[in-house]
Amino acid sequence: MKFKFFSAHLLSLSVLSGLSIYSVSANALPSFARQTGESCSACHIGAYGPQLTPHGVLFKLGGYTDTDGKDGKIPLSAMLVEGFTHTSKKQTEDAQPHFDKNNNLSLQELSVFLAGRATDHIGGLVQVTGNDFDRRFAMDNMDIRIADSRQLSGKDFTYGVSFNNNPTIQDPFNTLNGWKFPYMASELAPSPNASPFINGALEQQVLGATAYAFFDNSFYGELGGYQTMSKSLRNKLNAGEDGRISGTAPYWRLAYFKDMKKQAFNVGVFGMNAKMQPDFESGPTDDYRDIGVDASYQFLGTRENIFTINTSYIDERRTLNNAFNAGGATNRHGNLKRFDLAGSYHYLNTYGLTAGVFDTRGNKDDALYNNGEADAGSINGSPNSRGYILQADWTPWGKDDSWGAPFANARLGLQYTGYTKFNGAKNNYDGLGRDAKDNNTLFAFVWASF
Amino acid sequence: MKIQRLFSLVILFALTQVKVVHAADIAHGTHVFNEECAECHSPKEGKNKKGPSVWNVVGRKSASITDFNYSDNMRSSNIVWSADQIAAYIEHPKKVIPTGKMKYEGLADAKDREDVITYLSSLH
Repeated sequence: MKFKFFSAHLLSLSVLSGLSIYSVSANALPSFARQTGESCSACHIGAYGPQLTPHGVLFKLGGYTDTDGKDGKIPLSAMLVEGFTHTSKKQTEDAQPHFDKNNNLSLQELSVFLAGRATDHIGGLVQVTGNDFDRRFAMDNMDIRIADSRQLSGKDFTYGVSFNNNPTIQDPFNTLNGWKFPYMASELAPSPNASPFINGALEQQVLGATAYAFFDNSFYGELGGYQTMSKSLRNKLNAGEDGRISGTAPYWRLAYFKDMKKQAFNVGVFGMNAKMQPDFESGPTDDYRDIGVDASYQFLGTRENIFTINTSYIDERRTLNNAFNAGGATNRHGNLKRFDLAGSYHYLNTYGLTAGVFDTRGNKDDALYNNGEADAGSINGSPNSRGYILQADWTPWGKDDSWGAPFANARLGLQYTGYTKFNGAKNNYDGLGRDAKDNNTLFAFVWASF
Repeated sequence: MKIQRLFSLVILFALTQVKVVHAADIAHGTHVFNEECAECHSPKEGKNKKGPSVWNVVGRKSASITDFNYSDNMRSSNIVWSADQIAAYIEHPKKVIPTGKMKYEGLADAKDREDVITYLSSLH
């Protein structure tokens, strides 16, 4: 029994991490537009969140405090996502409770945000989200900042602290896992089991503080740590239960950013270490050490034609003492590597096309990945998955002269995710006859913000 | 008579060219404005963003839009935004208004500055 418990628990952590790629809770907040007097397109590529323009990067670094100087702004926003999901082959079990095995229409997200500035130096966002398969509201992303700017050696110097609950959500470039493409994706389709720890395994279950500094509008450094919230707090917030960090998990980030107005780029490195107690008890830990590199380029021009390209590569090393001792992992030591690349084109910040590829590879581990489950298992005991995502979207509003500005915005999107390998194989990956391409997913969505 | 006609045609052609060049400058200035300024400033009358509206800004006294919250430094600057003053400001904002609110490093290219001011001059 214990073997199964640990195995299931560790796999659930891995699965959760994998799922997080596809459950990105992306934000586009009219309350920030009302606060600044600016359109959504000032801060967001394609006039919708979360992909940031350089102007948006500076707004985030400044603690979400910029304003048009007028009082009386209410820092509240709401967001909903209605989606239709079709997979090439129906799933073995219902996609979620209350849903069918295929062709599901769902209210995927209904969020309320407290988002705005509190003072000249304090601002942030706090998101609470519900959906019609969990049928309850839970704490979603939080990023509260204290920030200030001054001149240092004749150069701009911005510094601050972010208090957040999801490592990478606070990254100023919105290109790491918390906000990377796909910015919206189906939560009713199968997704690969394995993903690096830093890609969402801790989301909403931790609280962290990271201090950052941004010098000469170019050099960025950040350092902080995360701890798991107490059980009572997690219960109150309906947060997940995927293990406890032993002590504090350090997070760090270094980047170089250059805004040339017509174009911009950033390159960087980032990382996180965590010692996890999957059963919330002291003893051997499962240790993760993630290091990543990333780069991003934007051609902005006059904002009529915008091209972007984002990429990242994460190398994860694992020492699974806890899982290995409990029989939940065949190997004590393992690795996982994740590569992402996405390019986009937007015309008039209204019509968007995005194409992305992803590739996850790692060592085989039968106990870890071969859980015997239909659709979700891996007969090879392998985490390897790769595929592509294509998306076309239409964002009719969110510009200076748009209808409803700055009170409403919406995006209509059509997205196709194709898998050339899923949980270790192209064909019969789960040992029960399911092929990678059976999980190819067509997702149509309406995403609205108020 | 022929010489007079020829002279008139030359003048007309020259004026046309001036107009074409002026229009080209405004078009380029519009592009520069959209690339460098439009996120924080609106060209529309009465539309303030993080920065004040730039409608009719050329010749305007500094800090004169009543419903915009300027920095104390800007309020006490007593600048009249002539073309030359705007050029100096957008080249090195911190040199003109050292503790101003505008988060902008400056527009280095002289032709870009000239054309964006030509565009601003057209906003009235």
